[in-house]
Amino acid sequence: MNFLPLWRYQNQLIDGAIVTLELTVISALCGLLIGVAGAVALKGRLTPLRLMVRGYIELFRNTPSLIQIFIIFFVLPSFGLKLPAFESAAVALSLYFGAYSVEIIRAGLDSIPPSQVEAGQCLGLSGWQVFRHIVLPPALRNAYPAVTSQFVLLLLGTSLASQVAADELFHVAGFIESRTYRSFEVYAVICVVYFGMAMAFKALFAIIAAAAFRWPRRR
Amino acid sequence: MALVEIRDVRKTFGKTEVLKGVSLDVEEGEIVTIIGRSGSGKSTLLRCINALESVDSGEIRVEGQQVHAKMPDLKKFRQRVGIAFQAFNLFPHLKVERNITLAPLLTGRIDKSKARALAEDVLTRVGLADKIDAWPEQLSGGQQQRVAIARCLAMAPHLMLFDEVTSALDPELVGEVLKVMEAMAKQGMTMILVTHEMGFARNVANRIVFMHQGRVWEQGPPAKLFANPETPELASFIASAK
Repeated sequence: MNFLPLWRYQNQLIDGAIVTLELTVISALCGLLIGVAGAVALKGRLTPLRLMVRGYIELFRNTPSLIQIFIIFFVLPSFGLKLPAFESAAVALSLYFGAYSVEIIRAGLDSIPPSQVEAGQCLGLSGWQVFRHIVLPPALRNAYPAVTSQFVLLLLGTSLASQVAADELFHVAGFIESRTYRSFEVYAVICVVYFGMAMAFKALFAIIAAAAFRWPRRR
Repeated sequence: MALVEIRDVRKTFGKTEVLKGVSLDVEEGEIVTIIGRSGSGKSTLLRCINALESVDSGEIRVEGQQVHAKMPDLKKFRQRVGIAFQAFNLFPHLKVERNITLAPLLTGRIDKSKARALAEDVLTRVGLADKIDAWPEQLSGGQQQRVAIARCLAMAPHLMLFDEVTSALDPELVGEVLKVMEAMAKQGMTMILVTHEMGFARNVANRIVFMHQGRVWEQGPPAKLFANPETPELASFIASAK
């Protein structure tokens, strides 16, 4: 076992980790937007829209993410839509994360008793005001643990983007391995990096939760 | 013109007709208590008055304005009619102050600089000025219900509805809520209550309305109604409620 040959590749590893972080955060933010919008659509009255959202969720939750990335990178160009590797992966992973987020956030919204909505309406608030000020904050708190664990799955899943040659951590590892033939050492190092990033995010999420959700839980 | 005019209101849930032609007037400043067995339609009637339920036929007017779920200024209307519920329905993620000031601020009744003073004022009226910075979960049931009433008062309603507000409370906490309601009654608030508290109905209400099988079965001043019920249904209800 010899980690020394890896030393000169440290900048590539750092760049790869940064690309992984970018891919994760961008996909998570876009996916969360999709999640809130989709959850609102699912609870809405427009049946065609509901069916479309349902179809989207089932499609992206029941097919391999790798194929989703491949389709956006390899197949869409033949329809005239050509995206670079990073962008293809970001779009695919946003849609993948979004599909799970819709269900998680919908469950969060469902966890708010209708009597809360009624109480808001009875005070003369509009539908949007009730949603924004009365339903959404406790719904997000209830959805939060599931969203964060899904986020970690997304972080680990970005390694699939290596298959379309996006310069993220796993792809960089493959490159270094092909130069040094130090397979075990390379993959051990990026494993530690992934683990460290996941743990760092967990700590960050705990801090965010402590700041954002300060009200006591129901007894 | 009565503050609340209810004319031949009918309401059906599925196959069950819950309200079978109810008519009732409530004058300004009046305290009307609706009593009756569960399933007699009293809560449904109360919920129809602020359009939480829509009526199938007949009409309800409050301050001369016809009430229904699709009325154009429903939000404005509800700002004038307060309702307190059996389950309090405080917002768990907001402190007491914010629970009270959320609606006045969002509806533009007051601006931010006056919010705290408004919360202090209405909390004083329910005897909870010291709980302004508490979370709802830190309060007892009786305190939560008093905050819920204070939240209504912050909108300066013209009419207050109470839907079995003491039914979820431990017996020793009922008194503090009834005391607040009695004080409101003394200040001239028009109030319609659905309640099982016969003592309160007898001592504070101007009028008792006994509902039975979706109809107003019998009504009148409490002294007369409790002493000399005209119908056997009311007599047996009073006997069972004792």
